[in-house]
Amino acid sequence: MLSADFVIATAVGYVGLLFVLAYFGDRRARTHKKSFLHSPAVYTLSISVYCTSWTFYGAVGNAARSGLEFLTIYLGPTLVFVGWWFLLRRLVRISHLQRITSVADLLSSRFGKSNRLAVLVTCIAVVGIAPYIALQLKAVTSSIQAVAGSSEFGQGSLAGIDDVGLAFGIAAGMALFTILFGTRHVDAKEQHHGVVAAIAFEAVVKLAALVAVGIFVVYVGGGFENIFSQAAEIGITMDAENTFDARWLTTLGLSVAAIVCLPRQFQVTVVENSDENHLRVASWAFPAYMLLMSLFILPIAVFGLTRMPAGSNPDMFALTLPMAFGQDALALFAFIGGFSSATSMIILESIALSIMVSNHIIMPLVLRYSSGGSGDGQGMSRMLLIARRFSIVLILSLGFFYFFFTRDSDALAPIGLISFTAIAQFFPAVIAALFWRDASLKAATAAIAAGFVFWVWCSFLPSFESVSPRIALLMSQGPWGISWLRPEAMFGLEGLDPLAHAAFWSLSINVLTLTVVSLLTTQSALERIQASVFVDVFKRGQVARGNFVRGSATANDLFFVAERVLGERRAAALFEAEARESGVDPDMLEPSPGFIGRLERELAGSIGAASAHVMLSKVVSGSEVSLEEMMQMADETQQVIEYSQQLEKTSAELRSTAQQLEDANVQLRELDSQKDEFLSQVSHEVRTPMTSIRSFSEILLDDQDIDPGQRQHFVSTIHQESLRLTKLLDEILDLSALERGERAWDNVPIDAEAALDRALTVCEALLRQRGMKVQLGERAQRTMVEGDADRLCQVFINLISNAVKYNDSDTPLLHISSTVRAGSYVVDIADNGPGIGKRERKLIFEKFWRGPGGVADQGGAGLGLAISRQIIARMNGSLDLVQGPLPGACFRVRLTVLR
Amino acid sequence: MLLLTVFGALLVLPPLVYVFNQPIFHFGIPQIVFYLFVVWLLLIGGTALLAHAVPRDEPAESGDGDR
Repeated sequence: MLSADFVIATAVGYVGLLFVLAYFGDRRARTHKKSFLHSPAVYTLSISVYCTSWTFYGAVGNAARSGLEFLTIYLGPTLVFVGWWFLLRRLVRISHLQRITSVADLLSSRFGKSNRLAVLVTCIAVVGIAPYIALQLKAVTSSIQAVAGSSEFGQGSLAGIDDVGLAFGIAAGMALFTILFGTRHVDAKEQHHGVVAAIAFEAVVKLAALVAVGIFVVYVGGGFENIFSQAAEIGITMDAENTFDARWLTTLGLSVAAIVCLPRQFQVTVVENSDENHLRVASWAFPAYMLLMSLFILPIAVFGLTRMPAGSNPDMFALTLPMAFGQDALALFAFIGGFSSATSMIILESIALSIMVSNHIIMPLVLRYSSGGSGDGQGMSRMLLIARRFSIVLILSLGFFYFFFTRDSDALAPIGLISFTAIAQFFPAVIAALFWRDASLKAATAAIAAGFVFWVWCSFLPSFESVSPRIALLMSQGPWGISWLRPEAMFGLEGLDPLAHAAFWSLSINVLTLTVVSLLTTQSALERIQASVFVDVFKRGQVARGNFVRGSATANDLFFVAERVLGERRAAALFEAEARESGVDPDMLEPSPGFIGRLERELAGSIGAASAHVMLSKVVSGSEVSLEEMMQMADETQQVIEYSQQLEKTSAELRSTAQQLEDANVQLRELDSQKDEFLSQVSHEVRTPMTSIRSFSEILLDDQDIDPGQRQHFVSTIHQESLRLTKLLDEILDLSALERGERAWDNVPIDAEAALDRALTVCEALLRQRGMKVQLGERAQRTMVEGDADRLCQVFINLISNAVKYNDSDTPLLHISSTVRAGSYVVDIADNGPGIGKRERKLIFEKFWRGPGGVADQGGAGLGLAISRQIIARMNGSLDLVQGPLPGACFRVRLTVLR
Repeated sequence: MLLLTVFGALLVLPPLVYVFNQPIFHFGIPQIVFYLFVVWLLLIGGTALLAHAVPRDEPAESGDGDR
C-alpha cells in the first residue's frame, strides 16, 4: 500500500533527478553546440509542457463530466501547428531578429517599444495565470490526498494537515525548485537549455505514465469495445448530442489563442527555439504527442465511471483506478506522471512570467530611480536575478491564494479555462501585430485593457461565487441591482454557457476596440517603423535595424552600460569582437550606429526591448534623444520610396500612352499623305483631258476658217475627252461612295455563272479586236451567290479588260475557270501577259495604279481594281492576286455560295 | 497548407461535425469519437508530408550578437 510519506519522498527524489538533469543539460548545451538538446525532438517534447496536470487529471474528469469537450483543448493547438507556416514561423523569425523574450516584449516591441503596454500585458498575464497555477497546486494536492485517503495508515505524517497546508507546502517547494532551476544566471537570449532538457524528460514521463494507465485500463476492461459496451449497459453513454455547441466553439478558439499566447508556450515555442526548421518537425510531432496523450483519456474516464464507487472524484481516475486494482507500482508511476505534468508547467510558467515581471516592471523602475553611475559591474545582473526570484515567489503566492479562495470548487478543467480566457485577450493584438500594419499602440492597449476588464467581471469574479456571499448576490442580481450588468448575463444575454458568455463579450469588445481605435488614431514614428519590421519580416531581406543615428556616445559609456547588464565578461567579449571587426584597437573603438543597434538588441535579450531602449537612450547622444528625429527621417525615406514607386508606375503608364499616341499619329500622317496623293492624282487625271478640251476649244474659237473635216475632228476629240472626264468623275464618286458605304446596296441571291457569261459576251468584241484567244477551263454549274448581278458583271468585265489591255504577248491568251470549292464560288481569270512584279503586287489594288511604269493611254483612270475589290468586299467575298496556270497575272474572285 | 488548416478547422466545427455525430458504433466506439481521431490523424499526416515539401528557409540571421 502506498502512503503519503512515500509518494512525497518519491516526488522529492524525482525533482532531485530533474535538477541533476537540468544541471548536466545546461553544461552539455554550453559545451556542445550540436548536442541532441538542440534537436527538434527535444524542442517538440518541450512544447508538450502544454499538457499539464489539467491534461493528466483534468481531461479525464472533463471527459467523465462532459464527454468529448476535452478534445477541443488539443484540437485547437493542432490547428495552429498544422498552420505553423503562417503564424508560428513568422513569430519565431521576428523574435529571433528582435530578440524578443516574452509575449509582453513582443507586443511592446511591435507597438513602438512601449513599456506601458508591456506592463499592462505582464500584469494581466500574472493575474490571469494565477488560476492556472492554482489548478496545478490543486491537482498535486488532490493526488497526494487521494493516495493518503486510500488507507487508514496512508496518512502518515500528513495526519492533521489539511489541504491548504499541503498546497502551501507544495507551492513553497515549487517556488524553491523554480528559483534553483530557472534563475541561476541571466542569459542573453533567455534560453534555458537545462530547464528545457528537464521539461523534455518530464514530457516523456507523463506520456509514458498516462499511456501505461491507459493500457492497464484497456487490459483490465477487456478492450475498448468492452469498456464502452459495459458502460452502456449500466446507462453511462456519452452525451454527444449537445457537445458541439457554443462551448465547443469557445474552448476550441481559446485553446488556439492559448497555445500562442500562454507565457510558457511562447517561451518554449518561440524564445527557446534555436532553429526555425525545428518547427517543421514540431508541426506534426506535437499534434501527434497530444493525440497519444488523449487516446486513452476517454477509456479511462468511461471505465472509471463504470467501476469506481459513485461520488468519487473523476479528476483522479488516472490515479485511483490502479490503486483500486491494487497496482501500487502503476499508481506510483501515475502519480509521478501527474506530478511531472504539474511541475513542468509551474516551473516554466513562473520562469516565463518572472522574466516578464523583471524585464517590464522591475527593471524600468530601477532604471528610472537609479542615478546613472551607481552600482558595480555585476550590479545589474544580480539585480535582475533577485527581481526574478522575487517574481517567482509572487506568482506562486498568487496561485496559492487563488487556490485558497476557490478550494471548494470541484473540477480542474473550468479553472484552466478561466486562465485561457484571460490569456486569449492578447491574441487579437498578437495577430494584429504580425499582420496588420495600421494597428496602433493606443488601440492595442485599449483593446487588451477592455478585454481584461470584461474577463475580470464575467469570468474571474464568478469563480469566487461559492466563497463570498456578496459575489453570489452580485451574480444573481447585478451590481446595485442593475440586472443587465450581471456577470454571467451581460446586457441581457442570458442562457449562454458562462464560459462562452465571458469569452464572447471580452473578445468581441477586444477586437472591436482594436479595430476602431486603430482606425481612429495615428501611429508614432517608432510604431510605424516597428510595424513594418514586423509585418514585412519575410520581405526584402534586412529591414531598418539601427535605431540610433547620432552616435555621440563614447565606447566607454556604452561599455559601462553593457557591463552592468550583461556582466563584465560578456560585455568585454562583445566589444572586442566589434573592435576586431572594424580593425581597431579596443581602446580606440568608435561605436557605429550599427554597433549601438546590435548592443540594444543584446541588452533587450536580457531586460526587454523597452528597457534596453530607455537605457541606451540615456547614454547615446546625452540628454536629448534624437530618436524622434531619426524616426521621422526613416519615415520620410519610406515615404520617398513609396512615392518613387508610384512615380515609376505613373511614368510607365505615360510611356505606353505616348507610344499609342505616336502610333496613331503615324497612321494619321499616312492617311493624310494618302489623301494628298489621291488629290494630286485626281487633279492630274482631270487636268489631262481638260487641257486638251481647252486647247481644242480655243482653236475652234480663235480660228473661224478651219475646214469642216478638221473642225469635226476637234469637236469629236472634245467630246471624247469630256466623256472620259465624266467617266473618271463617275468612278471616283462610285469608289468613294463604296468606300464609305453610302450607296444603297442590296445583296440578293443571283446566279454568278450567268454574270460571268454576260461579262464574256460583253468583252467578246474587245477580245476579238485584240486577237486574244479565250481558253475556258473547268466551269461550275449554275451557282447562287448573294450579291448584285450588274456589279459582279462589272467586276468580271474589269478583270477581263485588264487582262486584254496589259497583255503584250504575240499570241495573247486568256484562261477563265470557275469552280465551287468548300462552299466558295471561285473564279480565276488568268492571262499570259507580263504578269505583275513582286513590288507591285501590294499596290495593284490602290487607286490610280496603272500597270508597270504607269503605261499611259490605257483608257482607264486606274480605279478599276480598287472599285472591283470594294464591290466584291460588299458581297462578302474577296478579290486577290494568285499564282495562276499561265505565266501572267491571275485574279481570283471568291464568293460564298448560297445554300 | 492553408487549405489543410482551413479544412481541418471546418471538419471539427459545427455544422460538419453534426454529420458524423450519429449514435452509430464502430468496434463498440461511438462514431464521433472515431471520426475526430481520424481527422486528427489525417491532419498530422498531412502536415508531416507538407513539412517535407515546403522549401526550407535559410536560417534567420538571429540577431548579430552571437558571432
